[in-house]
Order: sequence, then C-alpha cells, then structure tokens
Amino acid sequence: MIHATDATHEVICELKGIQKSFQRDTGHPLRVLEDINLDIRANEVVCLIGPSGCGKSTILRIFAGLIQPTKGRTYYHGKKMEGLNPGVAIVFQNFALYPWMTVESNVRTVLQAQGLDDEIIKAKAHRAIQLVGLEGFEEAYPRELSGGMKQRVGMARALSVDPEILFMDEPFSHVDALTAEGLRAEILDIWDDAERNPSSILMVSHDIKEVAYMADRIVVLSANPGRLRTIVENPLPRPRDMRSPEFLRLVDQLHDIITSTELPDVEVTAPAPSLLADLVEPLPPAPSSDILGLLEYLETQGGTADLFQVAAATHVTFEKILASVKGAEMLDFVDTPKRQVLLTPLGQRFVRANMDDRKDIWKAQLLELRLFRLVQELLELHHGELKADELLAELQQRLPMENSEQTFETLVTWGRFGELFAYREERGVLTPE
Amino acid sequence: MMNRFLDTMWGQANALFTPFRRRRWVDLLLVAAAFGMLYGLILLGHQWTAIQRPVLAMDLSPWALPKYTFFSMMRGLAAYLLSFFFTLVYAYWAAKDARSERLLVPLLDILQSIPVMTFIVPLMLALVAAFPHSNVGIELTAIIAIFTGQAWNMTFSLYHSLKSVPAELHEAATVYRFNWWQRFRWVELPFATTGLAWNSMMSMAGGWFFLMLVEAFKLGDKDFRVPGLGSYMSMAVERSDVRAQLWAVAAMILMIVLLDQVLWRPIVVWAQRFRIEDTMQVADSQSWFLNLIRGSRLIRRWDRWRAKQRRLRQHRKPVKKLVVVDLSVDKAAHAAPWLSLVALVFLTGFLILGGFGIFHLLHQLPSGAWWTLLKAAGLTLSRVMASILIGLCWTLPAGLAIGLSQRLSRIFQPIVQVAASFPAPMLFPVVVAILASMKIGLGWGSIVLMLLGTQWYILFNVIAGASAIPSDLREVGTAFGFSRWQRFRNLYLPAIFPYLVTGCLTAAGGAWNASIVSEYYNISGPTLQTFGLGAIVSQAGESRNFPLLAASTLVLAATVVLFNRLVWKPLYQIAETRYSLSK
Repeated sequence: MIHATDATHEVICELKGIQKSFQRDTGHPLRVLEDINLDIRANEVVCLIGPSGCGKSTILRIFAGLIQPTKGRTYYHGKKMEGLNPGVAIVFQNFALYPWMTVESNVRTVLQAQGLDDEIIKAKAHRAIQLVGLEGFEEAYPRELSGGMKQRVGMARALSVDPEILFMDEPFSHVDALTAEGLRAEILDIWDDAERNPSSILMVSHDIKEVAYMADRIVVLSANPGRLRTIVENPLPRPRDMRSPEFLRLVDQLHDIITSTELPDVEVTAPAPSLLADLVEPLPPAPSSDILGLLEYLETQGGTADLFQVAAATHVTFEKILASVKGAEMLDFVDTPKRQVLLTPLGQRFVRANMDDRKDIWKAQLLELRLFRLVQELLELHHGELKADELLAELQQRLPMENSEQTFETLVTWGRFGELFAYREERGVLTPE
Repeated sequence: MMNRFLDTMWGQANALFTPFRRRRWVDLLLVAAAFGMLYGLILLGHQWTAIQRPVLAMDLSPWALPKYTFFSMMRGLAAYLLSFFFTLVYAYWAAKDARSERLLVPLLDILQSIPVMTFIVPLMLALVAAFPHSNVGIELTAIIAIFTGQAWNMTFSLYHSLKSVPAELHEAATVYRFNWWQRFRWVELPFATTGLAWNSMMSMAGGWFFLMLVEAFKLGDKDFRVPGLGSYMSMAVERSDVRAQLWAVAAMILMIVLLDQVLWRPIVVWAQRFRIEDTMQVADSQSWFLNLIRGSRLIRRWDRWRAKQRRLRQHRKPVKKLVVVDLSVDKAAHAAPWLSLVALVFLTGFLILGGFGIFHLLHQLPSGAWWTLLKAAGLTLSRVMASILIGLCWTLPAGLAIGLSQRLSRIFQPIVQVAASFPAPMLFPVVVAILASMKIGLGWGSIVLMLLGTQWYILFNVIAGASAIPSDLREVGTAFGFSRWQRFRNLYLPAIFPYLVTGCLTAAGGAWNASIVSEYYNISGPTLQTFGLGAIVSQAGESRNFPLLAASTLVLAATVVLFNRLVWKPLYQIAETRYSLSK
C-alpha cells in the first residue's frame, strides 16, 4: 500500500481562510491564527509542527469543530461544516480519561453515548481494546497505568468509534521515549489497514523526528500569530527507519526550514521598530537562566556549535533552544549564521566575567532594547512604583499581534537578573532596584 | 479413632456456625434494621398526621429516647435530601448559564448569611395556616429550617467543582457526543463527588446546630414544638431534670457517631474512587461498615437482580438504528437556554416583588432604629472576632501538637470531628448556669457561647494543616537547629495559613449564626439577653415584629457579606498565592 498523494485522493476536510482570535481578560483580542488554508485527504498522515504559540492545537480543534473560527470556513466532504466534525475522534495530550472508570468502561462509555446496542458496544469495545494491546487490563483504573498504557486507552477509545480521521494532539509528549517509539509504529500499522478506518491521521507534534517518521505531509507553522509557513511532502517510503541516512537527511532539512522561519538571517518577520516609534521588541519565552546556560555551554564548545547538536547534546527541546538563541541574539551575545550559533566577542567577555561584571554587561545590553528603555521611563513616570497591569496594557498597545503576557514574563526575569528593577509578585508592582 | 470422632463432631459443630462465618448475620442485621426503620416510619407517619395539640406532651424517660432520636434523625436526613436536590439544580443552573450565574452566585452568598430565625418565623406562620388540622405544617417548617443550615455550602461546592472540570475532559465528552445528561452523569457529577461528599458531612453538622431551636420553637404563647431530641433536651432543661439532659447529650453523641460510621464514612470512602489522580493523597481510608455491606449476600443478590433487569430492558428495547451522525440529537441542549431564561425571569420577578415587600416593611421602621441596628452590628461583630481570637489562642498550639504527631492525630481526629458536629446549643444551659454562678452577664458570656460552637472548626483545620506539612520542610527546621519560636514563625504558621483562613472563615460564619441563640437565651428560666444584632433578630422574630426582623436580617447579611468580601477574600487570595504548598 502506497500512501502517496495523487489527484485521486479525495479531500476529507478543508479549512479555508481561517482566522482566530481569543478574547482576553485585558480587553485586546489575541490573534492566534491568520489566514490558514489546509486540507486533509483520504489515506494520509498530516502533521502540524511549529513553535509554541503557533496555534497548532487550535487548528486541530477547529478541524474537529470544537472551536469555531473567527473568520473563514470549514468543509467536510465538500460541504460546509456546522458544529462537530462527524468523522473525527481525538487522542488527547493529557489522555483525558475518566479516572473513575475502568479501562473498559472508558471505552464503552463513548460507544454508549452513540446510542448503540449493548451487544455491539461489547464487541466494538473488545475489538478496540484488543487492537491496542490492552487485553487483560480491562478492569484496571487509569491511575494504575503508566503514561504509555494510559495513552493506549485513549487510542482504544478513539478507535472504538471507527473514526474516518484520527486526530492526535501531541499524543506522546507525556509518554517516555521508548514507549512512544513503539506506539508510533503501532498506530501506523492500524492506519495502514486500508479496509478499515481511520483513513487519515492528523497529528500535532513538537518533535521533528516524530513528524518525519509519521507524516506524508508536514505542515510547518510560525508563531504570533500562527501562519502556515510551508508544507513539506515526505518522500520516504514506509516503513521508515529512523536511523537511515535518508531519514536523517530529511530531519536535517526540516530543522533548516524551521530555523529559517524562526531565526531568519535577514530580519523580516519582526515588525521594523524604526518605522513606528512606539513599537517595542517582543521577547521570546527564554528566561535569563536559560540564556546563561546556553552561553556557558557554547563556551565549553569553543564558542560555536550547531543548533541541533545543542538540542541533542543537552536533551532540551529544540523549541526551547531556539527561544534561548533568539534571546541571546537580541542581547548581541551570539550570532547565528545559518544553523551555527557562535559567541560574539561581547558574549565571550560576558561568560568569562565575574557575577558583578556580568550583571553590568547584561544591564547595558538590556538598555539597548527599546522595551527596557520604555520600562525605565515608565518607572520614573510613576515615581518608582509601576503596576504590572499598567505595564501589560502598555505592552499590548505596543505589541500588536503578540502574546504580551509571555513577553512580560521574560521581561521580568531579564530585568531581575540585570538588577534593572525588582518585581513584587504578590502586590503586582515593579520597583527600581 | 479418637481423632476421627473429634473430626466428625467438631466438623458438625463447626457447620452450625458456617452461616455466621459466611457472615449471614450481616443479612440478618440488615433485615432487622429495615424492620426497625419501617416501624419508626410508621410512628413518624402518625406524628405527621396527628391532630395539632396546644401543648406538646413528652415522655422524659430514657426509654422514649430512641423514638425521639429517630424522629430527629429522619428530619435531618429529609432536610439533607432536600439540600441535595436543591444543590443539584441550583449549582448546575449557575454553572451552565452565564447570564443566570451573575444573579445566582451573589444570591447564594446572601442566602448563606441569613439567620435561621428569619426563615423560621414567617415559614412557621404560613405553613401552620396552610395545614391547620395536622402537624404537617410544623414538621415541614422544622425540615426546611434544618435545610437552611445545610444547603448553601454544598451548593457552593458543587458549583465550584462544575466550574473546574478540566477542559480536555469536556472536549472528549464533546467529541464523543455525550448529551447533557451523559455529560452530567459520567463526567461532571463524578468529578464533583469527592467535594460533595466532604461537604455533605459538614452540612449535616451545620444542620444539627439549630436542632434545639427548630424542634423546640415557641412563638409567644404558641407552642410549635415537635417531638425529637432537641425538644426532649429543652423539656429536660425546663423541668431541670439533669439526668434526662445527660441522656439527651448521650443520645445526640450516639446519633452523630452512628451517622458518621454508617452513612458518612462509607460515602467518603466510596467517593474516593472519583478522586482525580495526583491530587489530595488521602491515605486509603477504610470503612468497616462499607466492607460489611459489600459482604452481604442480600445486597449482592439485589445487585445481580438489577443487572439482569437492565439486560432484559436492553433486549426488549427495539434495536436502535445505528446512529451514524446526528448532530441535532441533543434537543435538550437547544431547549435549555429557553428554560433557563424563563426561570431567570421568574426568579428576578420574584426577587423584585420580594424587594418591594421588604422595602415596604422597612418603611414602617422608625429612622432611629437603623442607628441602633448599626451599633448592635458593631458590637456583635466584635464578639464574633473576640470568639475567634480566643479560639485561636488554644486551638493553635493544641492543633499543632496533635497534627504534628501521627499518634495523637489518630486518637484525636475522630473526637474532634464528633465535637465539631455536636450542636453546641445543647450545652448552653449548663454553660449559662456556670456563667451565672460566676456573675458573668450574657454580654461577655455570649462570646463564650459562640466559642463553644465554633472553636472546633479552627482546631479541625489546624490539625489538617499541621499534618499536611511536608516532612522535608520540618527536617530543615531540625537540621538547622531552629528554636521553638523560629519554627512556629517560619514554618508552622505560614504552612498552615491557608487552613487557618478556612477555619477562621467557617468559624466566623458559625459564630454569626450562633449569635442569635447566644445573645438571647430563653430555654430555661427568665429570658436572658444582651444588646447585639443576634438578640435583636431573635427578639423581633419572637415578637413577630416583621419590620424589625427584616431590617436586622438585612443589616446582618450585609455585614457578613461585606466582611467576607473585604477581609476573608483578600486573606484567601494571599493564602492561595503566597502560602500555598502545592504550587
């Protein structure tokens, strides 16, 4: 069975011109998705990948009909979809099992909700449990099971309703690495059976290897707001070998694509601050301690390293490394020609300095950023006591389309480390050091 | 030879005991309990339908006590059932409809702070007028009055649980197309069960608090007493029959222990299966009664019979066509918003009418009365605070000592639980007599009376908090050689702070409630009273001065709600953010 995408592969679901904003408590809506066009065809595995905050899970939920988009349309077999997607079952990141039900009743419950006859329920539940290898565990409660086994229950529950498309929302992120590898292969085996549902799989992931292993098409997204960057067709034949050179080449290539959308060599994505005087730079989710750790690591590597090797060697997710590198680059401590990260002379001076000097350098670098100069001005304006809410409101004004809470969190750790200001969480105020 | 003989004999003798060893006696006990219950219910039926007498005659011999205890227990349980259904409807409505929520939640806050006196007087008059020839009106009033002591915190508990069901559980229910009933039965209610079980236990204790006031209620010269433990006690006090008083206290304790062992403990243990993993590591507690019941054959047979019936029903039902996709099935979901809106309109209308009525009543009040009420509120508030401060003085060290030692907490926890459920007003006659002999008036004495009921809530929470302190934090104290005072300031006090706030909040609520019986004492001898809001409420109720009753209730509710908003809620916030050990 070959799952290549050709013209005969019928489109099952489609999103057209989707935009999604969430209303926040603070008033300004947060735009999470912008102009998403995407389809899922018969007999394929589609994976969504991208940095945190790119709205991968939101896309999945819009496809499922759990969330209604702000703008745009959803189609199911060519017809406009209202409410829930009729052909979908979901495997959740946190399993979403009912802890007060046994494995079997967790599965049976969803069949009962469909109003099926008792005998059919029994048969279907049994088949689903058998399919994922949970026989013998029917009477166990979820709390007795490991993460991997729990996710098997989640899979059995989803498969029991015979879905046309199986949705998986980061299904293996709470499952240990070895178990996850087995589960991936099993789910592909189940999908591979052409006679039976599910016909297609839509999976959200943050693991590049996982995506390369599973997907026919890989949808790469960028964040703030979530946009579709590119769709990569996976040419590798199945079954795939995660250690083969072709596979590793594809993983490398995916890394490059994601890096170039996240750390472009020429600054294109960020709003050009010079044009609009009151705009400030958004900060990545990189606390100062992470940046410090990255710089120390680079120092041990002789001042330069390959971005992916950093991730592989430190066992930190690629996403997090990217954020730290981005942060360090904003402070001029590193430079990123292509996939290399190298310490700048300033960065080297910083790493080798003692703690007091480090703080001085850090502080000086912070004040190079428009954002921190703004905070300082606001502190003076408010006579040395700036309410966090006021600063947040200010950030929302000056960071359109961005998640200002996240910028605020990073801002606090950077500012604290640079002794630029102190933040008293319980009172919610910033004060100068 | 001898051996074989012994074997046969012994074997046969043994066989005689097998039914007992197989615990047939459990079934026997169940059957006996069922018959006892039936007999009690027949008696109760007689009492309800009996012709109203001008004065209640009661038998003060201890042999009459089981009957009276049973009556009181049935009233408590009936009130509990009422509370339970009220909770289901009210909390579900508030949690599901955002528009109604904005009215229902503050309303619940206000209802919670209205004293029982305000409910009972108009209710009694109305219901007795509705059933002039039997005891139904009085009995109903008693049940509803107990209900007002139980329902509110259960409702809050269910409401908060419903609001905090994890999003993914809801999403799964949506994706797999549960209708509203399935969602409620399989997801929401199980999620709320643990909290509801604990709160039911608390509520029951709250319901007993006014048992004496409710069962021995007199309005001026009219006798509205109903036979029960509370009225037995008050009669005993009236006739200064000390022995009967002691019997009544013993019966009350027995009833509380019995209900705890036979009803609440099994429910709490059973509810553990609904706990969400990784939260609240309650040690797997056991209930001997639950184990016993599970061992009963009758119950097992009944279960099997029910399962069979269910299967039969399944077969008789015409096989539904395989529903592939029917998104409009949930008709209830479409009807619900309308239903909710209509109910909301009715409720709002009712409240507005009630508001006008109260406004009209208040108009009849002389303007000087408001100033008096405010002064009384200030005085009662300071009594409430004083009772909490005094309570803290002894419960803090005692609770820490008990909670930090596993051995002591094993011994004392159940005792404290019973003490907390015991209705303090039953002890008031004794305490009032002691106070009188010490020449202490009710002005100061009422603080002692309030303390009697509320200190247990603080103690209970301090013990719970102290036993939840992680051992590594305590080891730090030992390792660095903290002094006793340092340990108290830097570890114990901050660690139990959230529990302390909960305890004080509950105690304050209890003390406000108790003010109506502790500032105005009329059980035995001449009526004792002191200036205070509780006394005014009681007095207004008894003299059927409705304008004053409405005004004093209003001031009391407003004070309680304001105090909660301005003091307890901020403290809670601090407790949750700064002193939370779970984050």
